[in-house]
Amino acid sequence: MARIVAGFGISHTPSMGIEYDRGIANGFAPHWQPWYDGTRPVKAWLSKLKPDRIVIVYNDHLNHFDFDAYPTIAIGVAPEFRQADEGWGPRPYPSLTGDVALGWHVTEHLVREAGFDPTVCQDLAVDHGIYSWLPYLMDPPWDVPTTPIAINMVRHPIPTSQRLLYLGQELRKALESFPSDDRILVVATGGMSHQISGARFGIANEALDEWFLDKIGPEVNTLVEVPQRELMRLGGTEAAELAIWFAMRGALSDEIREVYRYYTFPAITGCGVIAFEEGPAA
Amino acid sequence: MSNTIPLSLDPPGTFLYTGEMATKGYNLTRFGLSLRRPDNRKAFLADEEGYMRGAGLSDTEIALVLARDWTGLIEAGGHLQSMLKVAATVGENLWHIGAHNAGMTADELMAICPRKVSALPGEES
Repeated sequence: MARIVAGFGISHTPSMGIEYDRGIANGFAPHWQPWYDGTRPVKAWLSKLKPDRIVIVYNDHLNHFDFDAYPTIAIGVAPEFRQADEGWGPRPYPSLTGDVALGWHVTEHLVREAGFDPTVCQDLAVDHGIYSWLPYLMDPPWDVPTTPIAINMVRHPIPTSQRLLYLGQELRKALESFPSDDRILVVATGGMSHQISGARFGIANEALDEWFLDKIGPEVNTLVEVPQRELMRLGGTEAAELAIWFAMRGALSDEIREVYRYYTFPAITGCGVIAFEEGPAA
Repeated sequence: MSNTIPLSLDPPGTFLYTGEMATKGYNLTRFGLSLRRPDNRKAFLADEEGYMRGAGLSDTEIALVLARDWTGLIEAGGHLQSMLKVAATVGENLWHIGAHNAGMTADELMAICPRKVSALPGEES
């Protein structure tokens, strides 16, 4: 059966993507250079890890879905996932390669065995939730089969932290019952501290983000008990997206090793990444 | 211009996007999201008011868009991510929305970001 070999959590923001394109063309702005430098080791790690498949838990920002029908949890099951147009036109990147076989397998498990009712998307455009950080970590073409899972973070009520941890735990069961010898990477992306509307626009709580990074590996069970309102009060409304990281953590065992972490605050969003591998060091 | 950040979720510091807001701003949000399509952006720019009437917006909502009153639009239930599409279409961006919300110019806001606070759950601030 397939096995999960690693996972990482990472921030996303539209500016992260735009600054990458500018930075590669003309050199990085001083406040974004640290994030570029800080993600070089993740890129090197991934090129050695060479996962066979990737599952990415992220959130859409009203770029594919709209409020006619906004799913609380949605899974992409399609041969490819194109980039969404967020209003400025798409950036020059190819589509993600989809993973139909794994997508249906995960859907079967979540619906039949786990008590989840995901919306299944056979056509899904993916926004900066994935496209902002992906170019930092992997060079296109992005041909590793990928399954995106979108979590509602744009309109309350959003799923609870406990529910997202449980989603990750069930995701683990689904992946480990996939008939293959594949080595799978699980990614979660969201937050960290930021708020992009209201007079509190620009709030930056680095202490909160660092505290979260300290705890997500060894103390996730206490972390999920922190009310989401508290994360929002202290880290800004969009810090609620940190809850998505619990799905990645839930998909990993308690035998993980932290292999890398980096954190900086370029402009209006805490930018962090933390990577774990399963099992003892090779 | 103030750089005080209250550690509370009350307006005008924070506008939580609840179901109630989603209902109130349904048309407005739907209008903004229609601008994800390049052809709609073009049509909107050619005739803003006509496009918005076609989208079923009220006089009040149309006036808010014409005035680029980003704070009023968010209070009216226009989702930030949707209003951001409107901003993108008219050549503005997130900083313009944030600056309007925070009561300063975009340059002033950029100059004070990141607006640092330090507090952890369970710690009284």
